[in-house]
Amino acid sequence: MKNLYRPIESVIEDIKQETPNINTYRFRPKEPVTFAAGQFVELTVPGVGEAPFTPSSNPNVTDTMEITIMEVGSVTEALAKMKVGDTVGIRGPYGHGYNLTDFEGKEILIIGGGVGLAPLRSLILALFDDIDRYKKISIRYGARTPEDIVYKDLLPEWEKMKNTEVQQTIDEPHPDWRGTVGVVTVLLDDLPLVTTVDVDVPFHAETAIACVCGPPIMLKFVNVGLLQKGFKPENIYHSMERNMSCGLGKCGHCMLGEYYICKDGPVLTAAQIEKFGDPF
Amino acid sequence: MKEVFIGRENLQRLIGRWAKDYRVYVPVTFDIMNNEATPDYELVAGEVPEKLHLEGAALAHTAKSFIFYSREVVAKYPSSDPEADVEAPPTVIVGPRACDVRGLAKFDKVYWSTVHFTEEYDDPFIIEKRKNTYIVSLDCTAAKETCFCTMVGGEPYPKEGFDLNLAPIDSGFVLTIGSEKGEKLVAGSDDLVSELQSTHGQERERSRNSVTEAVNRQNADFRVEGSFDRYDLEGSPESWAYVTQNCVGCGACNRVCPTCTCFLLVDQRAKGGYERTRNWDTCLSLGYARTGGGGNSRPELLQRLDNRLRCKFEYSRDRYGLVTCTGCGRCIDACMGKIDMREAIKHVVTEKAKA
Ligand SMILES: Cc1cc2nc3c(=O)[nH]c(=O)nc-3n(C[C@H](O)[C@H](O)[C@H](O)COP(=O)(O)OP(=O)(O)OC[C@H]3O[C@@H](n4cnc5c(N)ncnc54)[C@H](O)[C@@H]3O)c2cc1C
Ligand code: SF4
Ligand code: SF4
Ligand code: FES
Repeated sequence: MKNLYRPIESVIEDIKQETPNINTYRFRPKEPVTFAAGQFVELTVPGVGEAPFTPSSNPNVTDTMEITIMEVGSVTEALAKMKVGDTVGIRGPYGHGYNLTDFEGKEILIIGGGVGLAPLRSLILALFDDIDRYKKISIRYGARTPEDIVYKDLLPEWEKMKNTEVQQTIDEPHPDWRGTVGVVTVLLDDLPLVTTVDVDVPFHAETAIACVCGPPIMLKFVNVGLLQKGFKPENIYHSMERNMSCGLGKCGHCMLGEYYICKDGPVLTAAQIEKFGDPF
Repeated sequence: MKEVFIGRENLQRLIGRWAKDYRVYVPVTFDIMNNEATPDYELVAGEVPEKLHLEGAALAHTAKSFIFYSREVVAKYPSSDPEADVEAPPTVIVGPRACDVRGLAKFDKVYWSTVHFTEEYDDPFIIEKRKNTYIVSLDCTAAKETCFCTMVGGEPYPKEGFDLNLAPIDSGFVLTIGSEKGEKLVAGSDDLVSELQSTHGQERERSRNSVTEAVNRQNADFRVEGSFDRYDLEGSPESWAYVTQNCVGCGACNRVCPTCTCFLLVDQRAKGGYERTRNWDTCLSLGYARTGGGGNSRPELLQRLDNRLRCKFEYSRDRYGLVTCTGCGRCIDACMGKIDMREAIKHVVTEKAKA
């Protein structure tokens, strides 16, 4: 029988520094590991261990995979010490991808906080590949300081895409910053409270889709904010952060009630998690 | 299911025949400190032990340990084979009780293709061992103080899920053949078994009824309104804090439980590279739900004990249609804080009703 726990050897092809503690790595797996936007993989740093990450590259590119990773603990710190040419392991993909056919013809709001924009990048790139299918893409991104912003070079490019806007905020005022200041929820302020389809407003909450990824506290407040603005719980997609060991619906670590976040998620809708109160 | 009679000496002979082709574990008693006779499994090496411990209730060791090792290498890398390297010699386990056999159903749900998981999620390490393990279960002839199988939809005797079942009666055993694997174990041993007499069946029923009654009697005080498979344990934090006050978070309850399936993968250096081991894990530990950078979805012990009990009654029911507490009482026996989950459930449910 096939061994589910085996990492596939993957070579680090490129390392790009995004912020002082976040790098984007490009890996070339020795056997193809294809994924859909929203799915994740388990990355092995040899001898140290595994951790779950959502690729940040375009899912339509299949021979390599990029992952944007923040240094926070044992696996990510060990990875930060590795160099181009070194070998890591990858297994997956796991979980469900976003159902992009459900997004067609709709306004899509993408909200990221900190390194949380990384998993959303694969979604953004997948949307860009079929941009005419979607009515509008609005990317709203919050970072702590200007220095902590990831994809500094890509954000201006994204803004140039058809039907796409990018809004950014930083938590505290900073001498080099001209834009919005405040935690990411301030980027919801321009969303109208009540909308009707024929009025020209930035978003029609009753049909729009929201995809959210960031620290738990951000998810909590964005969730409340979006519901207040009239977003439907089944249209709000949260990337749930949980401890994960296997990624296979077996080890139990990621469980939330009867859900295995690794298997039923990692993205769950606000409707699916409603009954847990504040599960972030 | 086909049933026959087998005498005590003939059972000894039958086990001896198995030992030629299989690894066979049998229950015996060990004299450890204080001369207390502690029953546990022993691997048959050569002669079958003369005194088998085939009476009483479940052993301290669960049947799960034979298919889900406390620690096991599940991958070697970098140069690894896509096929799993599983060591699963044919093994016969004599002695699991009903609460063990029911526990294996949870393993089948989690590790083997079910409606929830497709084949690509099949776990070779569990499945190969499961396929090569022959369960020869036993009726309980007496209950431990902590047994409560009848409160959670069970009986002190297996009804399904075994390959062979032995029901002790005065003159020997009623032997039930529960599966094709069971057929294989008795094939060619017609000389050791005989036709079942109606008195044998009656004797077994009497024993089964009396043990069932004993379990019911000792748990009368713990009964709460509502059916066990409908327990809603979403109690107040106060009621869970009360239940948790003597818990030290040691995780002994997880380790002895026949339905605790959780594990942690740990990587380490090994000859020629690295290896990945799978280790039993415990949801009572602080690190279990810890995420990168120090977040934790269950930082309080009371949240973790709440999670453990609700996993058994609510979450497994909602996920798999199974209540995964089989009432074996092992977690009560093992708890150094003397936490009795029967009392815990009663407390949470009655406090909830009052609110
Ligand atoms: C689906 C998913 C997608 C993700 N995508 C990304 C992404 O794209 N980019 C990104 O940067 N991050 C992402 N993350 C977060 C990322 O997985 C974590 O940052 C990573 O697991 C941290 O690992 P670490 O070993 O470096 O951190 P640590 O803090 O050392 O480790 C956390 C893990 O180690 C164990 N651990 C550590 N210390 C202890 C202790 N004292 N006691 C017990 N256990 C301990 C825990 O089991 C825990 O799993 C994602 C997470 C998930 C669930
Ligand atoms: S055995 Fe008892 S003390 Fe130990 S974790 Fe379980 S309930 Fe807590
Ligand atoms: S929870 Fe306790 S009584 Fe129930 S099956 Fe597990 S160990 Fe046995
Ligand atoms: S990560 Fe192991 S069950 Fe989800």
